[in-house]
Amino acid sequence: MNEKIVIVDYGMGNLHSVNKALVKVGGNVSISSDPSVIDAADKVILPGVGAFGDCMSNINSYGLTQVLLNALNSGKPFLGICLGEQLLFEGSEEAPGVKGLGFFQGQVEKIRTDFKIPHMGWNKLELKSSSPLLCNAANEFVYFVHSYHAVPKDKSIITSVCDYGTQITASVGRGSVQAVQFHPEKSSSVGIKILQAFKEWQP
Amino acid sequence: MIIFPAIDIRGGRCVRLTEGRFDKEIVFADNPADMAERWSKAGAEYLHVVDLDGALAGTSRNLDAIENILAHANMPVQVGGGIRTLENIEKLLSLGVARVILGSVAVKNPTLVTEACKKFSGQIVVGIDAKDGEVAVEGWGVRGGMQALELAQRMAQVGVEHIVFTDISRDGNLSGVNVEATAQMAMSSGVKIIASGGVSSLEDIKKLKKYEDLGIEGCIIGKAIYTGAIDLAEVLAVAKEK
Repeated sequence: MNEKIVIVDYGMGNLHSVNKALVKVGGNVSISSDPSVIDAADKVILPGVGAFGDCMSNINSYGLTQVLLNALNSGKPFLGICLGEQLLFEGSEEAPGVKGLGFFQGQVEKIRTDFKIPHMGWNKLELKSSSPLLCNAANEFVYFVHSYHAVPKDKSIITSVCDYGTQITASVGRGSVQAVQFHPEKSSSVGIKILQAFKEWQP
Repeated sequence: MIIFPAIDIRGGRCVRLTEGRFDKEIVFADNPADMAERWSKAGAEYLHVVDLDGALAGTSRNLDAIENILAHANMPVQVGGGIRTLENIEKLLSLGVARVILGSVAVKNPTLVTEACKKFSGQIVVGIDAKDGEVAVEGWGVRGGMQALELAQRMAQVGVEHIVFTDISRDGNLSGVNVEATAQMAMSSGVKIIASGGVSSLEDIKKLKKYEDLGIEGCIIGKAIYTGAIDLAEVLAVAKEK
């Protein structure tokens, strides 16, 4: 019962810290950009650092768009992290005209606040709906680095938010697909618990 | 308040120096990533890494060790030591470092600080080392003659948002942090200050915490947690108290 978790490598990412964190919780984890490996994995993690446009164009040029869509629709547990969360939406204000994976309806928008952008540092999670990954994370502080955030069309997919002079989407999820804007791999013991919950999750 | 456990790297290993002197070195771990894991397990939220070889060389040296720490830390990491160019800053940030700390270069090349703050907003920290209120530059051998408070104000003007303030007469001495000087810098510059140097007891943490609202973001703890003078988990608990 040691399910294969794959971290998708498309040249943009916080791969190693995510990998180490999962190894720590006993995950059978690998890093790959091979569609057949991703296809064969039991669980998929899509990380991401950088800009929406660059990330999407890398996914396309690595030939991973279809395999990611398959994974998203397959019912296997899927976790998007940071840009990997934003990519699940239809598009982003950061890269007009670039199509996202579009699994969730809605756009990624610039954070409009009087506070400083990027939103960088620890902030408190306020849970909005039940999430299989955030059971130990209510009102805990997690680490964010971003200037844009997801604005889902269907607000009920928002699983947590945080306050940064405005309400920021901290995580979303529906069924087997869960995604977080913050970095669990940089969020100390709370983050580890979230990754552990993903490892153990049986939707 | 954020507690930053310090990891000082020399020759790929985790060491502590006393008063910044290279001849007063104690090795605490052959692999600095082990220390990162240890502090991470204790519940730390942010790591402070100093590349001592880099500080001497004037450019980052222990990149492998830094990458290894980043992979094991599961928390944001700030790095300092010999960073003097935009390329060096960019390199570290691309590895996944959350913030870079510019030291003596801030006195010698304020233009770099200005440019860095424009390009990497929020990710630039300036380290100000002072002895008796005066800025010390270039390792700790030579002193510069500028007042630390004045330098902090100048840094605020060019867009610096965080300063690590080290009272070097106290660093590695466990003689108590200079809370008053740290608070004064926070208030006069408006920049968030991270206190460093001499933090030795829970009392120090409590004193610093009183000034949290006035701009003391946190403090760096080095020798005290390595020698066991204080327990990091206890420190973190005190820092989180309301």
